[in-house]
Formats: sequence, structure tokens, C-alpha cells
Amino acid sequence: MPDARHEWEQYRSDEFARASRVLTHRGFMLDEHQPHTEGERFLLSGHKLVLVGSKDGARCIMKVSSDERGKEELRYEHECRHTLHNLDFAYRPFFSPDELAYFEEEGVLVLVTGFIEEEKAFLAHTTEEQFFLALGAFKTQEGVQATTYRHAQTIKDVFGIADGARYLSDFHEYGETVRTASDPEANRVMQEAGAFLTDHAVNIERYTGFLTHTDFVPHNLRIGSGYMYLLDHTSLRFGNKYESWGRFVNYMTLYNPELESALVEYVRKNRSAEEYEALRLMRVYKLGFLLAFYARSYGKTMGDVQELARIRIAFWTQALKAVLADTQLSKETIEAYKENRNRLRSDEEKQRQKLLNQL
Amino acid sequence: MKVVIATPLYPPDIAEPAPYVKELATRLAGEHQVTIVAYGRLPEQIPGVTLIAVPKDRPLAERLMAFTRALRAAARHADVVIVENGASVEVPAILVSLTGKTPLIFHLGDIAAHTVAEQNLGRHVIERITRAHARATVDDRPMARPEILPFEPEPAAEQKLWEESWQRHLVLLTSYFHA
Repeated sequence: MPDARHEWEQYRSDEFARASRVLTHRGFMLDEHQPHTEGERFLLSGHKLVLVGSKDGARCIMKVSSDERGKEELRYEHECRHTLHNLDFAYRPFFSPDELAYFEEEGVLVLVTGFIEEEKAFLAHTTEEQFFLALGAFKTQEGVQATTYRHAQTIKDVFGIADGARYLSDFHEYGETVRTASDPEANRVMQEAGAFLTDHAVNIERYTGFLTHTDFVPHNLRIGSGYMYLLDHTSLRFGNKYESWGRFVNYMTLYNPELESALVEYVRKNRSAEEYEALRLMRVYKLGFLLAFYARSYGKTMGDVQELARIRIAFWTQALKAVLADTQLSKETIEAYKENRNRLRSDEEKQRQKLLNQL
Repeated sequence: MKVVIATPLYPPDIAEPAPYVKELATRLAGEHQVTIVAYGRLPEQIPGVTLIAVPKDRPLAERLMAFTRALRAAARHADVVIVENGASVEVPAILVSLTGKTPLIFHLGDIAAHTVAEQNLGRHVIERITRAHARATVDDRPMARPEILPFEPEPAAEQKLWEESWQRHLVLLTSYFHA
């Protein structure tokens, strides 16, 4: 069985050597410890490294890749950043760290952005503060809606676009992937979820055309001066208004159920019944994505990491059942999962998670 | 009465006058037969209200013609047409009023569009012509619905003010339904 960890470690070592040479030549200094390249990073997408360092005493983040897919991600991020800041149909300003450099040298593409100093990580704020920070960020995204012919012309060559049919076909693929993990319960719940999406497809389509972030979670954001700064632009696309909400609220199922509940109640009490349903639909869609991700991890790992994938599939299947039933997971289920997960995580991954405030 | 509301924005659009139009139609539907003609593809439904959606993902001239056709058909048997400001609705409303007899009530619900009209000669002229064709121009805007936020008490006082602002607005607006 191929082991993705070893493949990643080889890539990391080679890429780091290449990038160090290029960055040093351009006057950048790299930190000795590079936490974003460690732990379970090997399971995430794209062959690129996210490095921390400085130039002329100013802290910065350097994203580098010599791999074609990785370069494509960086090019996409560069284009998205520029287009986003020049959209004339955005109702609110977007906050993201400045792009300091973008160049290719010796086959290595480099994108450097400023480092946003954070007094406190998102999850270290009170739940009330977290709620208002998140709501502000969602409203900013919702303020970018491509509705007219002119808007469509502006975004079509830059951003990815997802319509209702795309969401349904993606979910079908997720179902096929989950089937490979040989978990009958996960398979059964995915089928039920697929039927839920198909039956309510009109509310997926109705709220498309909005700027959304497919991986809107705290480690892709930083809090500075009371605003949320977006760190990862590669996950931006035009799609369902509630896709960012879905990912974020699902994440809070595990890390802050009180915030999960507050956000869900906010939508239920302040927005239309169709919008509340759209939120549930997108939560289901994103949980399908997560289950497929862990099903793939299960197939390409061994030992404790594979066992981790197995218990993650079981846990997120329970979360999916809860969303389909319009309820919340019990505290006991969440705590039992966390205990098992922490037991199976490597020390290196625990360190990486500590840095992300996700323990 | 048969009331048509013509609007450039309607939910799932989020900017004004989209939420205003949905609230207005919901409230009028209790006593009147309401039809909304709006740009969009899959508008949010309101029980008892007819929704006519004109897709806006087409070139400008094409969508203006499509909106004009839809508005003309809806206005033919209506007693009054409420026109939300914005050139994309004002132009079709002017064309419809030239060939029909249904009175227009012009509502300045979108301050941003009105500001653009004040700064752009072409838009300014279109807005002026719409005013000239309308039985009345209403620039009263009810309050935005107060949000119910977790961690905060229910905004009872704001909700009362919001309701009162709507009652006043409806009295004013419907006073122009009859000549």
C-alpha cells in the first residue's frame, strides 16, 4: 500500500532545499522551525510549502512550489487576490494581508504575503466575540454577488464557479469515494444525504452566484484590529451563499458547539426558511466532502493514521446524521471522539494542532 | 386591488430594495392581489404572491426588453404599478406607461441608485422622466428589520419601531392607490 507520508517527506525535503536557495538569494530569511509543513499536512491538497520567515525584519508568509499543480494553485491565488480587490460589485471591503512579492526563479514559484500579527487566535476569543467576527466575515462575502451579465464576464476567467448541478455531481462523487472505506453506516447516511440534496436542489441553485470560500475555517483566517483577514485565496469561488457557512459551522460542531448553535439560530431567526434550508444543504454537502477526504486518507495510510481516518469517518457520519435530523451532536459523542483522536495523533501533529489552536 | 411591484433587486439578492420589496409584498398580499416583476432566476416565494422573474445574465439591451415585456403584460390588468427606482426598472416603466394606462407610483427605495442618478446625467434624466410619468413619488423608507442576535436580549423596542415605521409607510403608499 502506498504511504502518502513518505512521499510527502521526500517532496518537503527537496522543495525546501530549492526554495531556501531562491528565497535567500532574494533577501528572505526562513524560520528554523516550519510548523505548516509538519504533522498531517501530507494529507492536505497540493504540492506546495507554506513557510514562515522575514525580510528586512518584517515577518512574512512564503508559499512556494516547483510542482505544476502547486504552481497552478499559487497562480490562482495571485489572480483571485487581485480581482477580488478590484471588484466594483462588492458591497464591503475585503481584508487580506498585502501581497509583498510574486515571482518565479529556478523553476520555483513564490508568493509572499505580509504576516498578520494576532493578539489572540480565533478560538481563544469568547464565543460572543467569535460570533460577531464570523458574522461580519460572512456578510462581507455575501456582499459579493455576481448577478448580471457584466459581473459574470468579470469573474468567469478568474474564479471557479459552482452551480446547483455541480454541487450535486460533486456529492455523488463523494458518495462513491466514501463507499471505498467499507463503512456501511457512512455509506447508508451518504445515500440519505444525497437524496436530501436532490429533493431540495432548487435551494442549492437559488443561492448560487455569491462569493464563497470552500475552506472557511479559523486556520485560514487571522484576527487583526477587530477584523478577520483571509489568508487562503485559493479556496475562493462563486457558489452557494452558505458554502462558507456550512464549512465553518461544521467545524464548530467539534471545536465550539455553542458557536455552532448560535450561528444556526441566527440564520433560522433572521433569514428566510429557504435560506435556513440552504444552510443545512451546504452543511450536508461539506460533510460529504469531509467524509470523502477521510475515506481517501483511509486508503492511502497505515497504522495509527489509518485508524484515525476510520474514527473520523465514524464521527463525521454521526455529525451528518445530526444535520439531516436538524439537531446537534451530543457533548458526550464529541468528547469521546476527541479522546480517541488525541490518543492516535503523533506528537508532531499535536504540535501542529497546538499552533492552530485546534486541540 | 391588483398591485404590481417592479423591482431591480429581489431576494436572493441582498441589497436594498430586495428585502423591502419582499416585506412590502408580504404585507400587501393580505388585502391585495400582488404580482412582483423582478430581475433574477429563482426568486424567493411568498404565499399568495405571483412572481415573474426576468433573468439578468443577459446583455443589457436584451434584459431591458425582456423586463419591459414582462412588466407590460403584468401591468395590463393591474390597478397600480409600484416602481422601485433604478434605471433597469425605470426605463421599462417609462415605456410601459407610454403605451398603457395603469398609474405608476415611483418609490425611491434604493438610495445608492438614487445617488448615482444625481451624479450621472443619463441616469438623472431617466429618473426625472419616471417621476414625471408617476402619479406620485414616495421617498419614505421603513426601517430595516432589527436582527435577533444571540447573546443579546430580543430587540423588542426596535421591533416595535420597525412595525410602526411599516404601518406609517403602508398608509402613505396606499394613499396613492386611488386617484
